[in-house]
Amino acid sequence: MRMGEIVMRCKGLNLWYGKNQALKDISLEVPKNKVTALIGPSGCGKSTLIRVFNRMNDLVDGVRITGEATFCGCDIYAPGADPTEIRTRIGMIFQKPNPFPMSVYENVAYGLRVHGERDRKNLDRAVEESLKAAALWDEVKDRLSEQAGGLSGGQQQRLCVARALAVQPEVILMDEPTSALDPIATSKIEDLVYQLKKKYTVVIVTHNMQQAARVSDYTGFMYLGKLVEFGETGHLFKAPKEELTERYITGTFG
Amino acid sequence: MGMARKFRDELRKLEKSVHAMGTKAACMLHDSVAALKEKDSGLARDVIKRDEGIDELDDDIEDNALKLIALYQPMAGDMRTVAVSLKMITYITRVGKYAKDISNHVLDLNGSARPRNAGTLLRMEAKVSAMIADALDAYKTRDISKLSSFGARDDEVDALFDGLFKECDAATARGEITPSCHLDYVMIARYLERCGDHACKMAEKVHYMVTGERISIQ
Repeated sequence: MRMGEIVMRCKGLNLWYGKNQALKDISLEVPKNKVTALIGPSGCGKSTLIRVFNRMNDLVDGVRITGEATFCGCDIYAPGADPTEIRTRIGMIFQKPNPFPMSVYENVAYGLRVHGERDRKNLDRAVEESLKAAALWDEVKDRLSEQAGGLSGGQQQRLCVARALAVQPEVILMDEPTSALDPIATSKIEDLVYQLKKKYTVVIVTHNMQQAARVSDYTGFMYLGKLVEFGETGHLFKAPKEELTERYITGTFG
Repeated sequence: MGMARKFRDELRKLEKSVHAMGTKAACMLHDSVAALKEKDSGLARDVIKRDEGIDELDDDIEDNALKLIALYQPMAGDMRTVAVSLKMITYITRVGKYAKDISNHVLDLNGSARPRNAGTLLRMEAKVSAMIADALDAYKTRDISKLSSFGARDDEVDALFDGLFKECDAATARGEITPSCHLDYVMIARYLERCGDHACKMAEKVHYMVTGERISIQ
């Protein structure tokens, strides 16, 4: 399997929440400018795994990690590594859209303001570019000063994508980004994922197998904290190598 | 009943119907050549009539397969089973058509004076029918052990076809058969040879269905 340049990697990675081991000896390479999907039953560790990459697990008490996790060759958990900088370069979209309680414009500009951008022209340009890249601009260009909470669920989710894009990340992690959306909004997000990979690397966690098959180049199947199988998406869904993967994706599990 | 269980039952039903359709077409092929051997024009006409049934099954099974895709979005081995089933019914339908075409030539031959010996055609039919039966069995049981012999068996069928071609040329030259008989024999042999090719395609698809790996039977 030729994957091209690798942007994130973990090797022999273990993670514990207190006594409970959530990730077991995970080795995974995430290729640049590709979409990598993680599938598996609830509680298998897929969300935990993507949270390793932008240190979102730091916010949970009692987390312990061993093994390697690198981003562009640098240790994500090195003593001097700055979680804020990592989260800028590795953005994240969550299951439920979580716009800040402020205007559409301020949601997108927020990250830039945090990074010290004060110039109105620069902010205007970045907001417009980000909203365009998130395929939302045409729908909100006349509502920039309205409260983000007034947008539809699908629009809110794309707003969150725009907010992540505004700070010019390299990787976008998506944790079940469409599970709270209707089929039309889901389709828009899927189109967006396809567009995003031209400039960004995307890792998407999804329970929707057809979605993983549609949008991703590579797919990993996780079960009970282990990465059971990883491969090209077409291969994994047509002819998986592992019996366990076959059983999960054909719905004959348990 | 759970959805996964319901899907599995539906899939088994689909497999059974494909196998049954294949058996019907193989039986038509056998009968078409038997009609020649026994000089039984009634049997030949019966085979021609049975082709309509094959067309109906082709449509019904295709509808059922598409319904399974639409309702359950099968994946992996299940997806390969549905996809290969759709391919199988196309090859089976072709076998049915060839049985019908052969029967039409048999009706011609049965109406004319001709040598009684159709030995080469019978041998070809026996080999081809056995290949179709083995491919259908492998589809049903997922035991692919017999598929590896298909290349060699198809070569045997091809060799019989080449031999028959020469036999017919010589017989025509000696004035033993008319040019019209010559054509009937060669066309029947040609259709049997094509059925052998379809059996090989079935074998390739069944191999893919069972293993996920593609093979090419030459």
